[in-house]
Amino acid sequence: MAQANTVRILDGNTFVVSEDTGDIEATPTEPTGLFSIDTRFLSRWVLTVNGERLNSLSYDDLQYYEARFFLVPGMATHYIDAKLSIIRERTVGGSFHEQLTILNHDEKAVDLEIRMDAGADFADLFQVKDEILNKKGETYAEAEPDRLRLGYRRGNFRRETVISSSQTARYDRNGFAYSVHLEPNEQWNADIEVQTFALGPGGRDLRMGLLAHSGERLALQHDLEEWIAAAPRVNSECEHLSRTYRRSLVDLAALRFSPLSLGGQTLPAAGLPWFMTMFGRDSILTCLQVMPFAPEMSRTTLRILASLQGTRFDDFRDEDPGRILHEMRYGETAAFEEQPHSPYYGSVDATPLFLVLLDEYERWSGDVALVRELEQECRAALRWIDDYADLVGNGYIWYERRNTDTGLENQCWKDSWDSISYRDGRLPGFPRATCEVQGYAYDAKVRAARMAREFWGDPAFAERLDREAAQLKERFNRDWWVDDGQYFALALDSDGRQVDVLSSNIGHLLWSGIVDQDRAEKIAGHLIGPRLFSGWGVRTLAEGEVRYNPIGYHNGTIWPFDNSFIAWGLRRYGFAEEAATIADGILAAASYFDGRLPEAFGGYQRELTKFPVEYPTACSPQAWSTGAPMLLLRTMLGIEPHEGHLSVEPRLPVGMGRIEVLDIPGRWGRVDAFARGRLDLHKLAT
Amino acid sequence: MLDATTTFFENLDRRGYEPLLTKVSGTLRFDLHEGPQTRHWLLVIDRGRLQVSQEDREADTVIGTSPALFEDLAAGREHGLAALLRGDMTVTGDARLVVQVERIFPGPSDSRGPRRLFHQEVR
Repeated sequence: MAQANTVRILDGNTFVVSEDTGDIEATPTEPTGLFSIDTRFLSRWVLTVNGERLNSLSYDDLQYYEARFFLVPGMATHYIDAKLSIIRERTVGGSFHEQLTILNHDEKAVDLEIRMDAGADFADLFQVKDEILNKKGETYAEAEPDRLRLGYRRGNFRRETVISSSQTARYDRNGFAYSVHLEPNEQWNADIEVQTFALGPGGRDLRMGLLAHSGERLALQHDLEEWIAAAPRVNSECEHLSRTYRRSLVDLAALRFSPLSLGGQTLPAAGLPWFMTMFGRDSILTCLQVMPFAPEMSRTTLRILASLQGTRFDDFRDEDPGRILHEMRYGETAAFEEQPHSPYYGSVDATPLFLVLLDEYERWSGDVALVRELEQECRAALRWIDDYADLVGNGYIWYERRNTDTGLENQCWKDSWDSISYRDGRLPGFPRATCEVQGYAYDAKVRAARMAREFWGDPAFAERLDREAAQLKERFNRDWWVDDGQYFALALDSDGRQVDVLSSNIGHLLWSGIVDQDRAEKIAGHLIGPRLFSGWGVRTLAEGEVRYNPIGYHNGTIWPFDNSFIAWGLRRYGFAEEAATIADGILAAASYFDGRLPEAFGGYQRELTKFPVEYPTACSPQAWSTGAPMLLLRTMLGIEPHEGHLSVEPRLPVGMGRIEVLDIPGRWGRVDAFARGRLDLHKLAT
Repeated sequence: MLDATTTFFENLDRRGYEPLLTKVSGTLRFDLHEGPQTRHWLLVIDRGRLQVSQEDREADTVIGTSPALFEDLAAGREHGLAALLRGDMTVTGDARLVVQVERIFPGPSDSRGPRRLFHQEVR
């Protein structure tokens, strides 16, 4: 598999994906390259010595922004008698930097022709998995005495790659070369710099103007050390748990993304490498997951999403006043409106979740100023929920895309085309309303009521919101309850009929609090019952449904992020053992992925495969998978902000042993949480 | 008949206040270049209060476009952030102001908004 031996490093939204030799030869099936602002700036980057390709002995991805490759000439044989070593060390930090080191181990002097083929197709990120045949602009290559300039021009849209070297090189339109004489045991070095430019008229870089107000960024290493030092420490007798936490923390640092326009503030991007951009839903849910560990991310996420909140009707972008964005992109297809991501607004959950995040953030941080600052945006979001999102006029949030060419059909987290089906496998028409979004809306209103009462000085509004939330809950429990299955329907169709499959979405309903108390036990039973629970986690769709497939993207796989919210929901309704069962399964799965949970894995029964089968996907780490272990920790430890204090009520499985989480930041300063595993889960899961 | 650009700025000046910009203070200068000619519009924002003039004065943010593109922006036929990504609009200075002010431009006039199932006009 191509994905298995690709190496990825990044800084912000500049990243490099290469083969394990460090080479880049992009094809639709192996979309390697140097990417920045959603554009590929190098699609070819191949090192040869005396015309020979190199063979990889090993590589280290030392940190998320640097990697090192140890190479020898010639292709792999069972015995490599190497007289030369070649080391490529690369860093991404603003630009792409590669240091070449060549060592001569021979007792004789050698003369070497060292060549790097370089080329750029300037593909938009949306095109990298297609054959790129019909670019509308023109590419150019200019070899200068001291640099190679590769460019792409379409009207005023210009992107350039400029390659230069510390050692004198001969540049041509397809790369550059060095002639080197090395005595025995001598070594040779060259520093190669690859800069990316997004040029506007007059040759000014798009990002130069935009970054004028960003703060001085610390050196990457220093930055990462500070990030880790600022986060709580987790000590655990259960070794894989500590490792998973540490991995999550570093990956979260790598996933911090600084939008072009917002002055160096960071928020979690969705996933590496194809989704290093702003996503409403993913960024918000990740912030919720990591609240006890990195609360400051919430503030910037909320501010950034607020500053891009919809203000008008734009059918191409599915924009409405008050709506929170789905996805922002910076590449050619967004620029020329071949894709709607400038930004695109086609999601129905980001808007209620925005309100949920703001309230949750205040409970932890006590940052009342932000709640006051964003009052207007909150009111606009609430208006969107009540008005523009209610396409049927019955008090629920519905979706139907207006951009029928490039917009999203399913605007909930399960956004693939076949994710919403009836029991007989048919797909409902539009508009559709999915259950978890109604839960989010309920929670958003309850939380907005608190903010209105306590911080906005508007008790009448608070009362109205509370009343509306109560009515929504009553209505929901009536309209969505599937009598013959004793659970909530996945969705309603536009005739009000239930889309009646059993799905993981019911777990999010517990998290939001919309479930009537007397029905919670039934829901908890389904979630850890044999149709949904595999032993590792809760399947997106229950076994036995027509569209169930253990490796169906949203129709049977297990999503760690989904499970983390389900566990939180179970805990909220008092099902601590059920929550711990899920946490235990997902964290056990993480140990098979070296602490880095994938986006999804197969829904096979745990006893059947013995290990979790990864769903083939291009994105890892992915933000909300990275955040999942943190939310599971929070859930098992039962840490909740409570009247300005942090309360701790651990319910851990026996195998977890003792866990301590030190220095949890919040309005209380910093406090520690300690726990010991006491729950015997075997009694429950069978 | 007035052009869309003049109408847009005169409306802002007449309104004198834009709630979407309540948290915004700063000055933006729009330089509309055509050959050797440049027409300037200066927008001063003071916590949502707006003042428009045609002065060529220093500003926190300077936006450059052709007069034709600005006409399209002012009429909702073009989108500011897409134009910026395309290089058809340039920005120097504080980019945050552009993102904030872009929000007060109109949407496309042929956009219908949410399609309600119950046949009721969207407000």
